[in-house]
Order: sequence, then C-alpha cells, then structure tokens
Amino acid sequence: MNHTTRKWSLRLVVILYLGLLVGLPVGYLFIKAFSNGFHAFWIEVTKPDAIAALKLSAEVALIAVPVNTVVGIGAALILARRKFFGSRALTLAFDIPVAVSPIIIGVALVLAYSRIGWFGGWLISHGIQILFSPIGIVLATMAVSLPYVLRSVLPVLIEVGKDQEDAARTLGAGAFRTFWQVTLPAIRWGVLYGVTLTIARTLGEFGAVLVVSGNITGKTQTLPIYIYDAWDQNYDTVGAFAGALVLASISIVALIILSTLRARERKLHVDLA
Amino acid sequence: MSISLSHLTKRYGDDAVVDDVNVEIPEGSLTAVLGPSGSGKSTLLKLIAGLEIPDEGRVVIEGDDVTDVDPRHRDIGFCFQHYAPFRHMNVARNIGFGLRVRKQPKDVIDAKVAELIELVRLEGKSKSYPAQLSGGERQRMALARALAIEPRVLLLDEPFGALDAQVRAELRQWVKELHRQIKVTTILVTHDQDEAMEVADQLLIMHEGRIEQAGEPTELYERPATEFVHEFLGPTTIFKGASIRPHDLELVRSSEGAMEGTVQSIMELGFEVQVTVALSDGSTPWVQMSRNEFRAFEVATNSPISVRERVAK
Repeated sequence: MNHTTRKWSLRLVVILYLGLLVGLPVGYLFIKAFSNGFHAFWIEVTKPDAIAALKLSAEVALIAVPVNTVVGIGAALILARRKFFGSRALTLAFDIPVAVSPIIIGVALVLAYSRIGWFGGWLISHGIQILFSPIGIVLATMAVSLPYVLRSVLPVLIEVGKDQEDAARTLGAGAFRTFWQVTLPAIRWGVLYGVTLTIARTLGEFGAVLVVSGNITGKTQTLPIYIYDAWDQNYDTVGAFAGALVLASISIVALIILSTLRARERKLHVDLA
Repeated sequence: MSISLSHLTKRYGDDAVVDDVNVEIPEGSLTAVLGPSGSGKSTLLKLIAGLEIPDEGRVVIEGDDVTDVDPRHRDIGFCFQHYAPFRHMNVARNIGFGLRVRKQPKDVIDAKVAELIELVRLEGKSKSYPAQLSGGERQRMALARALAIEPRVLLLDEPFGALDAQVRAELRQWVKELHRQIKVTTILVTHDQDEAMEVADQLLIMHEGRIEQAGEPTELYERPATEFVHEFLGPTTIFKGASIRPHDLELVRSSEGAMEGTVQSIMELGFEVQVTVALSDGSTPWVQMSRNEFRAFEVATNSPISVRERVAK
C-alpha cells in the first residue's frame, strides 16, 4: 500500500466510525423530529410541559453557571497563588464530582437532605425542602459541573505567572483593579473555555438530577428528563425527538463557540511566542 | 541616605535567603547588587519593593520606615526580569497604567505617556502590543511604565538578562545615560560582574544571603575584603600558592626573580592572549597579556619560559 492509499483508507475508517457513532444517530434525530413536518415539531416543542422543562433547565443554568464560574476562578486563584497545606486535597475534592458516576452524586444528596438524612430533617422542619424541588436540581447540577472552570483556569494562571499582578501592585493598583484589569484579561480564554464546558454539562445533566428531582412533570423536569419521560413513559417519540433536537442544538452551538475560542486562543499563543 | 536596610532577613523554612543585611544606599546612586545565582539578590530587591515580607529587619526609604507598607503605597518603580508587560494592553496603555491608578486627568496622562515614549525611544510604537515588540523594546517599555509614577526608587531585576549580547551592551550604556538624566536612586540586580562594573557607581556583593562587601567598583576590585569578592570580581589564578589576577603576572625570558616552566597552552582572544604555563613546582598559572606583548615573546607550546609578578612601572 502506498502512502496516499494508506492515508485515505485511514481517513475512511475514521469517517465510518464517527458516522456510525455520531452522524447517523444525530442525522436520524433530525429526520425523525421533522417526520411529521415542521408544524408538528413546533407543536411538540411549544407544549406547556416542554416549555416548562426548557425554562427550568435555563433557570438552573443561570444559577449554576455563574456560581461555579466565580467559585472556580476563586479556587484557581487560591491554588495558583498561595502555597498551603492541603492544596492538593482541595484540587482532588473539586474533581470527585466528575470522577464518580452522576448517580452517586444524586444518591449522596438524597442521603444528606432527605428526612432521615444528616441535616435534611432539620431543614424540612424549618420549611426548607431541598429534594424534589428546583433547589435540589440546582445543587446536583452545580456538583456535577464543579471542576470545569477551575480545571481550565488553573493551568493558565500558573503559566501566566504572578509578575503582571506584582507589577500592577507596585504601580499602585489594589486587589480589585488588579483582578479586573490584569488577571482576568490574562486568563479570559481559559475562563470562557471553562464556562462553555460548564454550560454544556449543566444543560445536559441527567442522572444526578433525576435522582433528586422526583421527576414531577411541569415542576421538576429539566429538558433531559422531559425527553426521557416522553420517550420511555409516554411513547411520545416525536416529542422526545423534538426535545432532543433542541437540547442537541444548544450543545452543538456551544461546541462551535468553544472551537472558535480555541482557535483564537491558539492564534493568540502563536502571536505571543 | 535614600534607602537603608537594617538586619533584613528572609527565610524559606530553615534556609535564610537574605541573612541579616545591613546596608545604606546613597541618594541618586546607581547601585548594582552582584552575586551568583541563589545568593539572595533578587529576594533582596523584592523585600525593598514589598513584594516579599521580611522575617526580621526594617526597610527605610528616604527616612520613612516602609517595612509594613503595602507595595502599592511605596512609590517604587520595579522592572521585572521578564518585564511583566500587560499583554492585553498596548504600549501607551501599559505606560499609563500607574497614572490611571492615580486618577490623573486624561490630558495629563496623555502628555506624560508621550514624554516617556520619547524618553525610552519607542516613538511610533505606542499602539503596538507587547507581543509585537523586540526584547529590548519590551525592556524599555517596562522602564517607562515604572518611571511614569515618578518613583522614589527604581529597582531593576536582571534588566539585561534575557537579551542578546549586542542589545545588552547598547542598553547598558543607555540605562547609564538615562540615570544621568533623571537621577532617580536606582538598584539593579545582576550576576554579571562586567555589567555591574560598567554601569554602577556603587556595588553590593552578595553571597549566600549576606553582603560580602559594599563600595565603589574600583575600590572593591583593588581592595577586595574577602576571598569571595576577589574571585568574583575578575579572573584569578594561583601563583606561588596565592590567588592573584592573571594580568598581575608576566612572562619573562630570564629566570631571575621568576619561576621557570614551559608553555602549556596559548589561547588568543582577539586583543587579549592567555598563556598557561606549567611551572617547576607543578602549578599551572595562566598569564593575561595584550596581543602586542605576546608577539614580543615568540613563544609556542612547550617553549621554555619564566613567570613572575608584574612589576609596577
């Protein structure tokens, strides 16, 4: 086999593999979602329960993404700039939620916050219901998307180093100005990368959310759970396909933004080299 | 005195990186802190700037004890070894940073930045980003940025360390000239004795966290207080069991008052020639001389020759 043949047969294998795993299923999804025409698709995605699920997913993301971004950047700053006992343990703790199966996060939250849990009883007696409510969903979602910002920002912070921040200090800048005008611009691509990953994970989380949400239609159903329900419980295939298409489209758009950012980041690094 | 350091000590664990440093730095001087890597000279600079906090001792600048003052209120211009440019700001915004922090009016900032850009010869580069500048240009931008706040003291950490030889030599002369113009008390850290001797009017020799000797360059070169200073400030060789500068030795034909031996090797370095001689006592000192001096001898490897201490003429 000559070089060109080998190159092309290799490419063919990769294309076939990706086609079978990604292309065919997603393509089939598109076709099925529109199998009864656009009007049928539109009726499905504008059903009150579908709208409620989309809205809940968006609301959860609106809380979980900013909180995890702030926590992630803060933790990255502490880990990159201060040496202290237990810093490695802290980094590890951030990774645990994605290292274990999401179902474990869900079950652990149920154990902690149910009536018989460690502080669930106390909270419920004070009128605060964590499980089977949006609060539980937000907690589960924040847990499974915890490390993405930290993991994207930490290596950038370490690479950029402390000198620019020190320079800003000697020039008279306080901590607030130094962060907004020096540190944040230096790590902005890392932050955006982490935020994109967090959004994707937040919208897509199924297992952990299913366990804590109680799956109450129209109340505690996020979009992935609505799709699962339509498919598995209600035999509403068009509804499931339509919901899946909406969710897939959001993720694909996020991925496109992400890859554009990575390309820009790479270009920036070439410029600086 | 512009800066006075007393009993200044910084430890990392049990290791004293800066160890009981007591020194006075005269107003308006250009002082070079010279020492091998790991001697604590960069840490000393960061202690003066407040970027490191001392375990013991005081830092006094122009009579104010600033030991407990945050670096942002010390009015110190600091140039980092790798210049630490703000990569996302252009040259003008980099230089104006300290002035914006001080909430100066825009027209004042613009005028001051334009003046500094001219001073550091970066005309036409004000809209360029640090990534688009050469090493020397980045260095000058960092200097302008530090000077913009009209600092009481200018601190330069290995200012020429990351530049190639040609640019280094130019920048040294330029820094010296700049210092003559603006007269701000300046301390620079370097491990290169030639650089220190050429640029500075005061030298501080550091070794293992301590100041070995302080004073004017020629004084230190001629009257080193310790063996370390003697060896660090220039080349040395061993003759009759003592450490001596190779240019204080000379070759002679007659053995009168000299030690006999044979030429072991000859190294010609342009104007300078180094001749290593194997002496009868088994030692092998090397002699430094000019090309013209060397020519007069017509020696080759293995020629018999004698060596003695150069007689002052």
